Amino acid sequence: MGAVARVDRVFDALGDPGRRALVATVAARGSATATELAAELPVTRQAVAKQLGVLMDAGLLQPTRVGRETRYRVTPEPFDDAAAWLVEMGARWDERLAALGRSLTRARASTSSVGVLQHRRTRGKPARPDDGAASGA
Amino acid sequence: MELHVEREVVVPADPGEVWEALTEPERLEEWFATEAELDPRPGGEGVFRWGDGEERRAVVREAEPEERLVLDWDDGGEVVLELEEVDGGTLVRVRETSPDFAAALELSALAWAPSHA
Repeated sequence: MGAVARVDRVFDALGDPGRRALVATVAARGSATATELAAELPVTRQAVAKQLGVLMDAGLLQPTRVGRETRYRVTPEPFDDAAAWLVEMGARWDERLAALGRSLTRARASTSSVGVLQHRRTRGKPARPDDGAASGA
Repeated sequence: MELHVEREVVVPADPGEVWEALTEPERLEEWFATEAELDPRPGGEGVFRWGDGEERRAVVREAEPEERLVLDWDDGGEVVLELEEVDGGTLVRVRETSPDFAAALELSALAWAPSHA
């Protein structure tokens, strides 16, 4: 196979979201069997086996026989960079969005107490530093 | 080749509150980065630092308050944040696109070619 055809195969193989998920899962686990992947992803073992074939043809995964089973690994550099990016960025956004939810919950709690204080002041009570804090507690 | 990561979450706040959390540096430091600087206008610059010493720089490509924020990272990647009011709060949709790995893959394919040709 020529270089151009090879690049096309890599791009085609990664154009499918299911195959990208498969590669990301293999990368996250280090290595995996078709059975393990079928257990982890919402697809059948036959579907996994078929997609693994496409990914191997593209040179993105390599099989290793371990006893009776075949384990798949992500082919090293430079594809590792891409797979690592997917796994790491996904994990980062999961953490960030959880933190965003906590931050907004805190902000909403403090904003509503400020709102109460401001509301009291607009009703003409003198704004003393201890005014709202004492009565609002 | 570009890859992307997509996430969606509903947060208990209205789009205005979420927009503040997405664009005010001191709020960004509560969830996005350890240190944040951001001028949230098209063409504005952002600098984000994390505890492990990582620093990323970005330029704001789009900023539609309470709706959509798009940053172009200086490594070629981008992040799109979209907000939509829903029951119970705001749906936050994130799509981060990787830098272009194509050049590296292509070099690698050329390097492999002789043994596969």
